[in-house]
Amino acid sequence: MDVEFKIKRFDGEKSYWQTFNIPVKKGMTVLEGLYYIKENLDGSLAFRASCRMAICGSCAVKINGKPRLACETQILEIGNKLEIEPLDNFRVIKDLVTDFEGFFAKHESVKPYLIRKDDNYEEPVELIQSPKELYAYYDFTLCVKCGICYSVCPAAATRDDYLGPAAITAAYRFNADSRDEGEKTRLALVCGDNGVWRCHFAAECSEVCPKQIDPAKAVQKMRFKAAIEAIKSIFR
Amino acid sequence: MWQRWFTVKGRSLFSIAFSLHRLTGIVLTIYLCMHLAYLTSIRMGKEVFESFIATTVTPQFLIFDILLILAGVYHGVNGLRLIIHEFGLAYESRKSILYISVAIALIVWLIASYRMYVFVMGV
Repeated sequence: MDVEFKIKRFDGEKSYWQTFNIPVKKGMTVLEGLYYIKENLDGSLAFRASCRMAICGSCAVKINGKPRLACETQILEIGNKLEIEPLDNFRVIKDLVTDFEGFFAKHESVKPYLIRKDDNYEEPVELIQSPKELYAYYDFTLCVKCGICYSVCPAAATRDDYLGPAAITAAYRFNADSRDEGEKTRLALVCGDNGVWRCHFAAECSEVCPKQIDPAKAVQKMRFKAAIEAIKSIFR
Repeated sequence: MWQRWFTVKGRSLFSIAFSLHRLTGIVLTIYLCMHLAYLTSIRMGKEVFESFIATTVTPQFLIFDILLILAGVYHGVNGLRLIIHEFGLAYESRKSILYISVAIALIVWLIASYRMYVFVMGV
């Protein structure tokens, strides 16, 4: 069966649509379709991919208007006509490849690692954690930094310096970790007007997350904590 | 940039709810300015104000009033839904709460529209 791939391409100056017809078998993914085009029809097609099993988050693209991971989306689940575009809210570099530099910089800016006063890399100690403490943040560790949540966020669409759902979720993930001691540091980083207060709870990030980790929930929980801290600071 | 508030293609009901919230917010802001200007006319005398009332509280304006009530009720009820979630409550039930809030908005709007219809048309 032949399926039409209509791809939005960008050559550095102008964007245009190009259509390819490719033979599809049951179970074939959109990413395999893109590889088929690159290997057999047009070697200049640019897209980003790595693990091919929804772990690396590299292959996020818009398929028929909805952002998805190309490697876990089966072509025949979508239909026999596919429109593939780069993610929104990111600068397009070429074809389906977008610039993630700012996205990763925002992620890094919230200190997404354990902060402890007793860090000793020479003599590391085991940090004990109960299952309940693990489940408090476990879901949020599943984020693959694919940028899909950021691409649909209306707050990120209208303000470039907004941290975005992924970065705030990463901050929440470490703040909710019982081993971490950097809660106040991170709260200070995300409670500005380019952080949690910029979110308008459109909740689209949670709807599209390929790992179903509910970033909107993490953002609201961070916001609630930021509000409590702000109220407490009045009485200090 | 602001046009992206209204991107709904390929998005879920939540984005549509967000876009409508923005749209109704803009409508209500414009209405508020007009309303305040309207009320200010009372400074020019009772007759001027009453002539404004006679112009706008009419069957011809009823459709605008009904649409305004829809915007106001939707914005208010959807705002309450957002406040519930922003207080850290009921994320997991967000879809049900969205449906309930739209249903409440529609019911309140229909009742309010009926009452306005009866008042303006005098039936």
